[in-house]
Amino acid sequence: MTTAAYLALGAVLFAVGAVGAVIRTSATGRLVGVELMVAAATLTFAASGVGFRELDGQMAALVAIVVAAAQAIVGYALVSRVRRPE
Amino acid sequence: MSVDQIVVGIAGAVCIAGAVTAVAHRDPRTAGVALAGVLLGLAVLYAGLAAPAVAAAVIVVALFSTLPFVVHLTVATSRATSRVHASDRPRVTGVALVLGATLLALLAVAIALGEVPVNVSVRSADGYDLAALGDLLAGRAAVAAGGSLVVLLAALITARAARHDRRSLR
Repeated sequence: MTTAAYLALGAVLFAVGAVGAVIRTSATGRLVGVELMVAAATLTFAASGVGFRELDGQMAALVAIVVAAAQAIVGYALVSRVRRPE
Repeated sequence: MSVDQIVVGIAGAVCIAGAVTAVAHRDPRTAGVALAGVLLGLAVLYAGLAAPAVAAAVIVVALFSTLPFVVHLTVATSRATSRVHASDRPRVTGVALVLGATLLALLAVAIALGEVPVNVSVRSADGYDLAALGDLLAGRAAVAAGGSLVVLLAALITARAARHDRRSLR
């Protein structure tokens, strides 16, 4: 198994997420699309790091995961606040 | 075909199927469950990439960020109908799409020029150096790691404030 498979999978996931972020009209759907795009970018970071035999890719992936978690927390809190009756 | 290839192939198929389901399904609970499946599939892929620290981080995000939202939506939608309206932001989405496509094109050009090695075996020859990753996070990447943690802390405070504000409105 080489890094090419991981890069291809990352490209497919990014494309699916981008399409979802464009075609979906709900806030939750667009949030899921953006999450998929961030996950694909993270996979590309990690695979590239393995390709270069450096740990910088994994470090960038970890930072991206933490930022994606923060984005998910804020986004889901906003969506839940809109969905709930006051 | 080795066991590693079979596991990575199944995890990749789960990721693609989950991503398509998350995007195509209109029910937010189904989309959330599919997104959690994608994250868990990615964790398996990271383990195959000899990156267990990244895999553990993805599992933590899936368990503590995505799945609670699915449970929350399951409770919320049984008590109230959705009042989310379609957001009309085609310009922002278009800019994001152009930026993403540009980055993808740059990566494709870099691969075509041979700048990104794509035919490297992911099997690690010398094991996983967790201490080196820790040194990197505490040294050269300390600013990035600290900044991301500050962003995460701010997000937690914001989410808690939004929840507290909603309770005070009742």
